Amino acid sequence: MPATKTHMNVPRPYALLAEITHRCPLHCPYCSNPTDYCRATATVADPESGRRSARPTTAHDGELTTDEWKRVIREAAALGVLQIGFSGGEPLARRDLTELVHAAREANLYTNLITSGIGLDDDRVRDLRDAGLDSVQLSFQSDQPDLSDEIAGARAHRRKLDVASKIRAAEIPLSLNFVIHRRNIDRLPQMIELAESLGAERVELANVQFYGWAFLNRAALLPTYEQVARAREIATAAKARLAGSIEIFYVLPDYYESRPKPCLNGWGQRYLTVNPIGDVLPCPTASSAIPDLRFENVRARGLDWIWRESESFTRFRGTEWMPEPCRSCPQREIDFGGCRCQAALLTGNAANTDPVCEFSPNRASVDAVLRDVSSSSDHARKWTYRVNPKLLAHL
Amino acid sequence: MCSGQCSMRFIMLMAANPISDATQPRIAKGVRLQVDSATGKTVLLFPEGIVELNETAQEILSRCDGRTLSEIVRDLAEEYDADVAALAADVRETLTDLQQRKLIELT
Repeated sequence: MPATKTHMNVPRPYALLAEITHRCPLHCPYCSNPTDYCRATATVADPESGRRSARPTTAHDGELTTDEWKRVIREAAALGVLQIGFSGGEPLARRDLTELVHAAREANLYTNLITSGIGLDDDRVRDLRDAGLDSVQLSFQSDQPDLSDEIAGARAHRRKLDVASKIRAAEIPLSLNFVIHRRNIDRLPQMIELAESLGAERVELANVQFYGWAFLNRAALLPTYEQVARAREIATAAKARLAGSIEIFYVLPDYYESRPKPCLNGWGQRYLTVNPIGDVLPCPTASSAIPDLRFENVRARGLDWIWRESESFTRFRGTEWMPEPCRSCPQREIDFGGCRCQAALLTGNAANTDPVCEFSPNRASVDAVLRDVSSSSDHARKWTYRVNPKLLAHL
Repeated sequence: MCSGQCSMRFIMLMAANPISDATQPRIAKGVRLQVDSATGKTVLLFPEGIVELNETAQEILSRCDGRTLSEIVRDLAEEYDADVAALAADVRETLTDLQQRKLIELT
């Protein structure tokens, strides 16, 4: 590592994504969790009964303990982090969630729970609110129970409706998160109506981004150009109609764009993720998308050092690493060359320009994928449901 | 977890509606006004978002406690000995922007 890189003016992070477990009662085929879960192993909570399976001695092996997470939270706050998102997997699968929320509030962090809602009963809603939880982002798969449950691979939709009303009743600000893909994109107006009827403050309409399970299932999930064009009109109109009453975030389907997304606002600039076993990642998908990157673990190193000095955070920080056409591009401080994970997944080299960019020599690889969408039949497209870490270990 | 990470967000900007003199702006539910200990600056924290306030916005938001728009403008004009008309336009612009982003509520 050149000295100039380790001693350059390092920015402070603003937000920590705490993936406290990869266990989840849902099996969404677009999950951004890694398909191999790296070294993470865990048991599966029983989503149907709401009970937890007995803990064998190997249960949750590798997952950080409550005290370890509290230390991570304190170290993050000391680094300058202002926001924490508790995510997963399903963060409610950890019984110590309330304790962690409390610790985050004590560290003066804005606390966000990103959840399927499964496992959120009256007691836990109240406990979380009392611990100071600032906001809940509740995922929905669509507006219709049958389609939603088919996408989730679990009977979840009606329980989510119930959970939404519990969150409202506890007066915790509510966001509805929809991941948009080929099978639900035509329901966009109804999904927005659902958010209105549930009294959400925010709606996130996020076109699926192809990482993890979504990359595996890309052929089944990628919408057509016509679908995308219509969805954009609907989202734009809804945003205008609901301005000031519901805030709508529309995340673009980047394969259909000609310029890349400003991923992470630059590598190692504002965000960090800590995964269930304590690996610190510049982004949640980096561990599976960029296999040659070595990640540091909070059990071995302080967060401060990892953020400032580690190879995983410094490799793509700034603009020094950039190849052409990024290096001389006037957009280089605007889109930061796009997404490193996407470059790795689509070109085999994380240091390449994001191939979504029209100036990338690899743009043809994206166009080829888009051509396939409009040429083959819907019926041939099946997806693979996400499985939990333990089940995967038997494959 | 969801695949629409905050970091990948593209924000679309919207046209504004006018705000009347009698409007009472308040910080929206789920939004927290806080001093960023790393910089000493005031920030608004909300789901997956942070806005660092400039001095004008900070002065305006610290007065969003039930006062009306015209009261806020008058207070600021007195404190900074500024032109009321120009100040009113600035305050309206700032509040409209914050309201469109649902960071304040207008009642």
